[in-house]
Amino acid sequence: MNINKSNLLLLHPLNKWMKKKKWSWFPHQIETFQHVRTGSDVVVFAPTGAGKTLTGFINPIDDLIKLKKFKGLHTLYISPLKSLANDIVRNLEKPIKDLDLNISFEVRTGDTTPYNKQKQKQKPPNILITTPESLALLNSYENAKEFFYNLKYIIIDEIHTFLDNKRADLLSLNIERLQTFSPNLQRIGLSATLKNKQDAKKWLCRKKSKIVSYENSVLPKIKILQSKERIPWSGHMATYSINEIYKEIMKSKLTIIFVNTRAQAEYMFKNLWLINKKKLKIAVHHGSLEKNLRLKVENNLSKGLVDCVVATSSLELGLDYGDVEKIIQVGAPKGINRLLQRVGRSNHNLNTPSKAILVPTNRFEFIEAKAAIEEIKKNNLDKIDLKEGSFDVVAQHIFATACAGQFDINDLYKEIIKAYPYKKLKLNDFKQLINLIQDGGYVLKNYDQFKRIFQLRENKNIYKLVNKRETRKYRMNVGTIIENPMLKIKLGTKTLGNIEEVFIQNLSQGDSFIFAGQVLEFQSMKNNLVQVKRSKSLISKIPSYSGGRMPLSTNLANSVRALLAKSNMRDLYPEQITEWLKRQKNISKIPKKDEYLVEQFPRKKNFYTVVYTFAGWHANQTLGFLLLRGFKEFNYKPLGFVANDYAIVLWSLKEVKEIKTILNLGLLDKHLDNYLEETSIVKRLFRDNAIISCLIERRLPGMEKTGKQVLFSSDLIYTVLKKNEPDHILLKSSYEDAKKNMIDYDRLREILKKIDKKIILKKLTCISPLAVPIILEINRENLSKKETDEYILEDLENEILKEANVLSIN
Amino acid sequence: MYYQLINFGNEEFHAYPNKSLYWKRLNTLIVSDLHIGKSISYAKNKQFLPPYDTKEILNKIFVSLDKIKPINLIIVGDLLHDVFSTLSIKDQDYKKLSQYMKNTDFIWIKGNHDKNIQIEGFKNFTNYKIGKFLFTHIPIKTSLFQICGHYHPKVKIVHRGKTIFKTSFVHNEKILILPSFGILTGGLDVHSKQISDVLGKNNLSIYPVGQDKVYKL
Repeated sequence: MNINKSNLLLLHPLNKWMKKKKWSWFPHQIETFQHVRTGSDVVVFAPTGAGKTLTGFINPIDDLIKLKKFKGLHTLYISPLKSLANDIVRNLEKPIKDLDLNISFEVRTGDTTPYNKQKQKQKPPNILITTPESLALLNSYENAKEFFYNLKYIIIDEIHTFLDNKRADLLSLNIERLQTFSPNLQRIGLSATLKNKQDAKKWLCRKKSKIVSYENSVLPKIKILQSKERIPWSGHMATYSINEIYKEIMKSKLTIIFVNTRAQAEYMFKNLWLINKKKLKIAVHHGSLEKNLRLKVENNLSKGLVDCVVATSSLELGLDYGDVEKIIQVGAPKGINRLLQRVGRSNHNLNTPSKAILVPTNRFEFIEAKAAIEEIKKNNLDKIDLKEGSFDVVAQHIFATACAGQFDINDLYKEIIKAYPYKKLKLNDFKQLINLIQDGGYVLKNYDQFKRIFQLRENKNIYKLVNKRETRKYRMNVGTIIENPMLKIKLGTKTLGNIEEVFIQNLSQGDSFIFAGQVLEFQSMKNNLVQVKRSKSLISKIPSYSGGRMPLSTNLANSVRALLAKSNMRDLYPEQITEWLKRQKNISKIPKKDEYLVEQFPRKKNFYTVVYTFAGWHANQTLGFLLLRGFKEFNYKPLGFVANDYAIVLWSLKEVKEIKTILNLGLLDKHLDNYLEETSIVKRLFRDNAIISCLIERRLPGMEKTGKQVLFSSDLIYTVLKKNEPDHILLKSSYEDAKKNMIDYDRLREILKKIDKKIILKKLTCISPLAVPIILEINRENLSKKETDEYILEDLENEILKEANVLSIN
Repeated sequence: MYYQLINFGNEEFHAYPNKSLYWKRLNTLIVSDLHIGKSISYAKNKQFLPPYDTKEILNKIFVSLDKIKPINLIIVGDLLHDVFSTLSIKDQDYKKLSQYMKNTDFIWIKGNHDKNIQIEGFKNFTNYKIGKFLFTHIPIKTSLFQICGHYHPKVKIVHRGKTIFKTSFVHNEKILILPSFGILTGGLDVHSKQISDVLGKNNLSIYPVGQDKVYKL
């Protein structure tokens, strides 16, 4: 490190405070200060505990002190979570108050009162801490330009959470807008350690830019739970190890147990309570719980008032809980980055290692856990793939722009394509999106008299909002996060949280289920409120939540394959896993790192084909459907398939003989459209697209429409549009979204490109040990929604007819 | 076309998957709640639904008329979504309608959405009586058997752990409610308060409409 450089910060206004605290500047803080000072945009990569937040504020605070009594908004800080935004304010408050610096700072999120928002607009603070959605809203006000014209810095916190989703698209467009308002604006990104740092820089920064990174040399200590019990073949609930997990909790002062789904969280929590003889204080935390309940748990956690919290990704980000001693990850890690993020929640001290225990819930997960530990030792992180921006977000942005005042479409287009996700946005698509906001963008020009924005007669490039009332609609629809239709759960008058409508629909009065760690009995449902009472029932359902199922990362999948191919099993695994794999080796084969094992065997009356791709759940789900189609074409009479992260199993009436002819790239091109169509994937995404692009209004609390009705009408729109105008921009947009997010198109394509030469075909007389876990997952045939509906009706009718002892008339 | 037989008021009716009801003995076709022009009506509030509903609904009607050639077409209310709806009917479709009117009487029972609107050639009624049957948009107090619309009934079916919603024909002993013939129209659960107030809770015959078939529960 250069001494001169460090001297720079010794003159910094915060230096006094650092000294008092007996802290010294980190090298990456000095480096960042230097780069920003000389006009670069910067992305800082550093682990938690390395003063990341402060790093972002070093230059702004220095400037503000030098400028003395700067009037207006100087620095904008964007946080991915409201709760984090509040935390940042608390952290910033300490040095500024201690040193009595003349710098004003405030937070602005959805929770800020209208009064305070109004005050902020009239008298902006020097530093404003906010979220991407609140920024989008600020930019939609008529005075946005005056509000931001003097903005010097924008700091994006946790930038790694913003790189590959629609929220990132929205943020990216709004950053370009700020740059237009204030051309000298500088961008500072703060990120956890990433593999592809250059990509993060490309996403955020302009040409003159630098990467600053700080690697932690202390590796976390991660081990797999050494269970004396039998590790099950399949399943995801880790019931086998519950006593051992409990013992681990007792050993540490404060433990967070991370699970992968909300259902797992409820289940784990309930099971721990059943064996909680020592009366440990155990709590549960997930995204569906009422905000106040969550805040209470977070509070108790930071004060060390609990012994253990069972949590989902809801506790992954943000707040520092200094006293957490140990992390237990139950279930597959799924990805290296994710596991590291979770493990990093313990022991926020840079010089002592974080401690974590992995609890695989089945045998494949054991191998996955082992592989993840190996990769972390090698510091081999997952790559985050940047994606092209979504159309619907541009549509929303156009609407927002119109709300702020009349605009020139050429200027807007030029500004949009400066944003990294939209570098390749075609002018023609952009114009269609303008039309979408104008009047729905249909070929049939029926709505001339009802336009939302219109062209000025004297200049066709200038568009203007028809009337001010429309701004209210934009403001109700802002944002890219679309929740599934949720219902509020009420115990007496107390709200416990939100539950998916679909789950409640499957309940009858008197059924009990577990929520917020309590067994509840369903009583009634009225206007989005689900009334429940406490239940003593021992049999209860656990709500499942759609979405949130993350696929195994490519990086970790490769490492699982490499690990499997190793021959020194005895050194790697406990006895039971070794036995399992050895038997597989004898009966069939363990695939090499680049091989694709396909096993075929008869079982009961059917014929089974198992393909081991290790492609992750999304890609496997897609491949399963495509293979089903392929088998149908060859008349093998396929009956169904099941996919997980590692493999796909299909069963058919006839023996599948031509697997190598079917399983190749041609399969994808031939049947993909069919897949998207029949599984209603695009239809579901269309709903999000229609809401984000403001074609239909989103449901808000207190509105009459229930979620189901919104879903219903967007389905109808989809059907009508598909039939009459298949080239409509929103259909195109939904289709692209499906390819990007739901079906792992690129990943599948990569695999299918090379698969035909790498297939190892094993014809067996019976099921192989490796196939047992996935065969156990077979519980229902995968039929398309349309077919399922008809099937259910048919079946129900037959049952009733049988009951009535009459035969069908038709 | 497959149909489902519905016995109601000692008469046989055929329920078709296109959500129309046919009274064979009198060669009369019955439809309800077409809500023609719903899209254009929403466009007024800047909700731009695809403007293809009117064309599709009319085509559905034309196809039925070609196939069945009924003497009467009875619309039990809400043919149009509102006053603006007539704007969405094209001239050629008006012409086509008047062609069909040569052989078929178009009997238009007025609903809450289209009370004060006129279209040439349609015969307007607030309700219409044939024998012991009364055709009306919303049921009234009467000893007659009533065939009506208005509620867009759908049924929630929970079976083998799955829940689906299906548009339905539904009747009790005295009242039969048709599903909506429209394209962009939602529905109301047959067990909702609004429908229960009319039909009661018990002894309902429910006929969910499937892809190519009407079922019976």
